[in-house]
Amino acid sequence: MVRSLWSAATGMMAQQTAVDTISNNISNINTTGFKTSQNEFKSLLYQELQAETTSANGETKPIDSQVGLGVRSSSITTIFRQGSMLESPSASAFAIEGNGFFSVKGNDGNTYYTRNGNFNISIGRNGLELTTTEGNPVLDTRGQPIVFQGTLTASNITVTGDGEFCYLDDKGNPASMGIRIGISQFNNPAGLEKLDSSLYKVSAASGNPINEATATNIQKSTIVQGYLEGSNVQLADEMVNLIVAQRAYEANSKAITTSDTMMGQANQLKQ
Amino acid sequence: MLKGLYTAYTGMVNEQNRMDVLTNNLANSATVGYKKEGATSQSFDTVLVDKIKDGSEDVRTARRIGQGNPGVKVGEGYTDYSQGAFRVTDNNYDFALSGDGFFTVEFTNKNGETSTMYTRDGNFTVTADGYLVTTDGDYVMARGANNSSERIKVNPNEAIVVDQQGRIMQNNQMVAQMKITNFNDYNYLEHYGENYYVPVEGAELELATDCKVFQGYLETSNVSIVSEMVEMISVSKQYEANQKLIQTYDSSLQIAANQLGKI
Repeated sequence: MVRSLWSAATGMMAQQTAVDTISNNISNINTTGFKTSQNEFKSLLYQELQAETTSANGETKPIDSQVGLGVRSSSITTIFRQGSMLESPSASAFAIEGNGFFSVKGNDGNTYYTRNGNFNISIGRNGLELTTTEGNPVLDTRGQPIVFQGTLTASNITVTGDGEFCYLDDKGNPASMGIRIGISQFNNPAGLEKLDSSLYKVSAASGNPINEATATNIQKSTIVQGYLEGSNVQLADEMVNLIVAQRAYEANSKAITTSDTMMGQANQLKQ
Repeated sequence: MLKGLYTAYTGMVNEQNRMDVLTNNLANSATVGYKKEGATSQSFDTVLVDKIKDGSEDVRTARRIGQGNPGVKVGEGYTDYSQGAFRVTDNNYDFALSGDGFFTVEFTNKNGETSTMYTRDGNFTVTADGYLVTTDGDYVMARGANNSSERIKVNPNEAIVVDQQGRIMQNNQMVAQMKITNFNDYNYLEHYGENYYVPVEGAELELATDCKVFQGYLETSNVSIVSEMVEMISVSKQYEANQKLIQTYDSSLQIAANQLGKI
């Protein structure tokens, strides 16, 4: 008797997870470098309903009659589609065009990765330092914090497409400073562990980071200064997914109500 | 006891079974590659009904009074393999099938035993070593030599392009061709769960001929909520009708047991 009740309950729980994912996407629609996630479902195992079954003209069927036990949320996949480039007045705003990630040193000393290039030039212990808005140092191609020696004017620092820092002299001619922003790629970016503040952490599924500066035969990303990468959430998609999830949730709740009514009727059998 | 009491009882059990099947459809109404299932109702084999001998009949023969039908059961479970709608995901590792066919997957169970399963769910991903796997980590199979299957290994640092024949290209070079399997008779396919189908003995496998692979799409479930809701109404009302029948029999029996023979 309870089979339909529980199947419908699994349906409601799965759709609840879908709504959770969708609302997180929508709430991050203006988050720089945010990547949308998508929920997928899989059916649960099947049970035998009746061993011997016959078709309408009386032939025995090769399989028994089966009933499934519901659904589960199988994966929440991050979609690393490129977000749109939004112009930013800050000279220390960067966007990545391609598959790369910026690397950032966390408070615990580990390296984390991000697509959010909204950096600051702040005054550190050794001079001007490129940091995230939280104050964590951004790393260069050798995994060292990016520090600019000497007395410099922050607005004269420019970055080329391959991440090379240049300093403009009095005449406006760029001279290389010998520092490049470190960009890493991953075999399977969807396997990266998501953390707060738009950071990602290496996991066994993502594979080790591939340094774009040293790796050969990979497609290198381009750095764009003065731009930020917007979130890649598509509001229309999310709204359609929300309708589907909400209505599926509703249909499952109707199945629970109906099962409940049926159980009530069975209980009324004995007067 | 009254025959109809048990007939109505089989009716209630059968409606509950139909309810179980349709609830599973509703629960999976957003599952990728899910195919709507149903259960038909079939009457029990008809039986001859004889009049029990009493004084009014000839002593040697029981008078035949017709045929009776002692109830209903599940006839067969069926699956509607019709095409589901496509949903654009723009994910390079999402695939949808159009036409008759299934992705071939090497499934590994908890004990580490492998078996071949089939699915319409093309929500795949690539491992760090470059293998194309399902979201649960089961290997997706490619066509090997002599009708064999092999795992699909790609260079994970390069984008893959898949054409409608399922040929996986990297750098304009063909890496592998997805093995899309079809079956002569879908009646030989059993549901495993996890969106997988398993062929039973007697199934005839073949390479799918009129099945196209679309990259960046997923096939949505072909469950129609409207028809499931209509069926739910019919199930609950038939359940109720059978319940009323049992109650009626119960009250008749009550009269027979308690009121007859009273002076």
